[in-house]
Amino acid sequence: MNIQYTPTTCPYCGCGCGFNLVSVDGKLKGVEPWKRNPVNEGKLCPKGNFSYEFVHREDRLTTPLIKKGGEFVEASWDEALDLVASKLGEIKDANPEALAFLSSARCTNEENYLMQKFVRAVIGTHNIDHCARLCHGPTVAGLAQTFGSGAMTNSLESVAHADCIFIIGSNTLEQHPLMWRRVLQAKANGAKLIVADPRFTPSAKKADLYLPFKSGTDVALMNAMMNVIISEGLEDKEFIENRTKNFEELKAVVMKYPPEKVADITEASADLIKEAAMMYAKADNAAIIYSMGITQHTTGTDNVMSTSNLAMITGNLGRPGTGVNPLRGQNNVQGACDMGALPVVYPGYQKVVEGEMAEKMMTAWGCGDLTCRPGLTVIEMMNAADAGDIKGMYIMGENPMVSDPDIKHVKKGLENLDFLVVQDIFLTETAELADVVLPATSWAEKDGTFTSTERRVQYIRKAVDAPGEARSDWSIICDIAKKMGSDLFNYDSPQDIFEEVRTVTPQYAGMNKERLEKPEALHWPCPDEEHPGTPILWGEKCATPDGLGVLMPIEFIPPAELTDEEYPFTLTTGRMLFHWHTGSMTRRSKTLDREVPTGFVEINTEDAAELGIKNKELVRVKTRRGEIEIGAKVTPDIMKGIIFIPFHFVECAANTLTQSFALDPAAKMPEFKVSAASIEKME
Amino acid sequence: MVQVGDMYYAWGSDDEIATSGECGGAVTTILKFLLEDGIVDAVLAVKKGSDLYDAVPTLITDPDEVIESAGSLHCGTLNMAKIVGKYLDGAKDMKIAVTTKPCDAMTLVELIKREEVDGDNILMVGVNCGGTMPPVKARQMIEKFYETDPDEVVKEEIAKGKLIIETKDHEEQEISIDELEDAGYGRRTNCRRCEINIPSMADLALGNWGVIGPLAGKATFVEVFSEKGADVLDKAIESGALNTQEPIPKGVEIRANIDKIMAKLAGKWQAKDFDETRGEILTTMAQYMDEFDKCIKCFGCRESCPICYCENCCLEADNGPDWLSKELPPSPLFHMERLIHMVESCTNCGQCEEVCPAEIPLAKIWHEINLKLQETYGFTRGMDEKMPPLSYFPAPGK
Repeated sequence: MNIQYTPTTCPYCGCGCGFNLVSVDGKLKGVEPWKRNPVNEGKLCPKGNFSYEFVHREDRLTTPLIKKGGEFVEASWDEALDLVASKLGEIKDANPEALAFLSSARCTNEENYLMQKFVRAVIGTHNIDHCARLCHGPTVAGLAQTFGSGAMTNSLESVAHADCIFIIGSNTLEQHPLMWRRVLQAKANGAKLIVADPRFTPSAKKADLYLPFKSGTDVALMNAMMNVIISEGLEDKEFIENRTKNFEELKAVVMKYPPEKVADITEASADLIKEAAMMYAKADNAAIIYSMGITQHTTGTDNVMSTSNLAMITGNLGRPGTGVNPLRGQNNVQGACDMGALPVVYPGYQKVVEGEMAEKMMTAWGCGDLTCRPGLTVIEMMNAADAGDIKGMYIMGENPMVSDPDIKHVKKGLENLDFLVVQDIFLTETAELADVVLPATSWAEKDGTFTSTERRVQYIRKAVDAPGEARSDWSIICDIAKKMGSDLFNYDSPQDIFEEVRTVTPQYAGMNKERLEKPEALHWPCPDEEHPGTPILWGEKCATPDGLGVLMPIEFIPPAELTDEEYPFTLTTGRMLFHWHTGSMTRRSKTLDREVPTGFVEINTEDAAELGIKNKELVRVKTRRGEIEIGAKVTPDIMKGIIFIPFHFVECAANTLTQSFALDPAAKMPEFKVSAASIEKME
Repeated sequence: MVQVGDMYYAWGSDDEIATSGECGGAVTTILKFLLEDGIVDAVLAVKKGSDLYDAVPTLITDPDEVIESAGSLHCGTLNMAKIVGKYLDGAKDMKIAVTTKPCDAMTLVELIKREEVDGDNILMVGVNCGGTMPPVKARQMIEKFYETDPDEVVKEEIAKGKLIIETKDHEEQEISIDELEDAGYGRRTNCRRCEINIPSMADLALGNWGVIGPLAGKATFVEVFSEKGADVLDKAIESGALNTQEPIPKGVEIRANIDKIMAKLAGKWQAKDFDETRGEILTTMAQYMDEFDKCIKCFGCRESCPICYCENCCLEADNGPDWLSKELPPSPLFHMERLIHMVESCTNCGQCEEVCPAEIPLAKIWHEINLKLQETYGFTRGMDEKMPPLSYFPAPGK
């Protein structure tokens, strides 16, 4: 009997918890704590504890599949990859901009790096994006404008030292449980907790001050808080003077947002807004935590910048227990962005529009000309597919048929393609539409690095062999590149790829193997091998050209789709503790599936009474995009007029209802968090 | 012939083992001998993972690999019994020697009584334990109190009420455990309360306490607690792998004294931790409702609890009673059910509390109730042969 403990990093949310995968005679049998890991010290949430359960599922993809006459037929790797290479080559020869690629926040840094290198150096387009677009695109766009770089400013542990924590648009307890632990630690030390959310979430229930407000009115709410802070003279004048610019412009705008007026917009009480503002501003060290509730709006970038305004006018930046802390939702969404799996930047956020950068990358890669024209974003790709401008797509480890807004529209776009390749570990709803399906390895079956929400770059380590003929994503990409005639993809291992990543990604330059092998690993930026890494950003100055933080005066803009007589409810969507994204992994984990087997629509008790809807009754929820049938969960824990649906469940898919017609102008984010909806009893 | 109750100073005759292991490498020598002689099929021990603070369980079948497990790891806050039950099929198909701290050994005793582990196939090579430290906190403590880079530390030891660290350049520093623990560092809170330092329920108990005179630091004190222990020790000595000598009587006295002092310290912590409640189940549960209210139903306590081994667990949504809310936090009954299933056999091993992401002081709660239960039923968990009194009626006449 052989028993092996493999220390690795969790494949779910962005906390980046460590644990040991335990294999007995080559099969995973459990997860055991890795108490030496500084992120979570052996503690995990249910998703982490049962993360091994989906790995050996019988429905794992084990062989390449080619669709022939509408049916999938098993194929050899050679046959499948030859077909992929020739089809991609054909489309590329006609027009490289007719190809689009979705990389994956599920995959390693090394794989994302290779994917974008392949797209740029071999195909010759920047049409690469991934679902960061649908989570923290506005964070990247917003914080880049205000701080000069768009990532979580502090470490998870740092939050334990806060005196006040303001959570807006994050149900931290369910979505980032090991970040929530730091909130609990801060509370145990006497910190005050403010939670602003339209739902009285499990996180909100633990707040000292719960501030219910209407989805989509975040800018108004935070402007009102700043209005109170400035009116009361609680702003940090020294910090504003020395570290920021634009204060007068900001002040002029926020003065137009007195709490009484904002109470009308937000449906939040003016007194509570005042109290929250004072609580936040009076604390020595106050931290803001936010997530999708802030970003998934057509004003996502504005919302993000409002959080940085709030932090800066109170001087809450650059110290433990302070900062603007966007919690990233996926294991490696930070890394996928860092690696340049985005249509506008190379690795390390080096802009594709700058000719200098193209030169730099051409030299580094030894490739031909690189275009300076930015590529398409996720939603633009689907629109272009629908319009016939995109002819071929390659989707690695994503499931837009559940995760993207307006699924009917996504389906139409994907079905309109001449050629679709999907590379995944299960035959997902998206894979079912593919012409070629390539079986990949799960995180437990490969080596590489993930970058967590706190910018910590950590190893994942292979614990068991992949099933059947499944292969790691990086080796598949290398083979396709080679088959397409490129000689730039000769790598022996993920480590080999990472060495190249370091040379072109300034933030990662100092991360060698010896340093990353320590359980502490390293937080970027880490520009050289002597640099200790940076758990807390902006201690002395920001990354803007003059080092000053930029205060952004922002006017409130209502959501794109407003309620009316036909669609009187505001629908908002989100995740829950036991499931993760499109459920392709968590719904295949028996323990997690048993806890929550399907979706539901949360509706306020009074609204339900008016409509005659009883708890657990099957109802119909409709928007202008479509309708679903779903069980009602009648609860006082949601504001009147708002309904909530978790988006994990394809049989009652929330994203059938969401819209993609209106996007955040800077980040191209659709408004997942606000759709006008109706809810009715079944006939 | 070695007899139950015998005590020795023992050290390995293999030079490499004698220097790699601590105090003459007696534990390593015995484990290696057990494999070489075919007395066991495998050894379950602990080896160093990423560094001195990372203790990783390892199942060894090749005698030459036993040396990997040499040396102490005071951040090894594991429960070895859980591993035997969960991953090694309760030793039902193989004979396994397990290195056991007192809580490991006590848990194995309980699992053997419950027939989850096959006692005939288990040999417990016990090691004395004055407590273990959570790794991340231990590193913070070394930085803060010793002003030393934790990566520079090569050895740490708890002796004479002090935590002593030794760095690469052979410098030693010591700070009193009391001082560290009053500041919230030092040993895990369950370890502080633990009054059992010498695993008398194991087959053998080894440790450095009481080794004085010329062999101090070069030999290990061994006490024999079972026929099985006597037999293997006899064979190890016979084979020439292990050297022994009568212990110096003063040393025996010193060892007993250290044990007494540690137990007294544990009593102090118990009094401190439990001063407000009396361990009555209902009173204690009521007292901690605000803590249970933080639960996020991660199942970490169940997963890590060696006594929680049911295939079908009634704590899962589908298996529990219909009337129970499926919302977060789970009903207080979640914890009540765990309590009813495991508290009588709870050995205060601390796993539940250590893995809890909601920082619920679970081990403290269960320890408190368990002590009351032991008192009420005249039952000593992990030690005596009586079956757990809430799960089993005593056999007639017992």
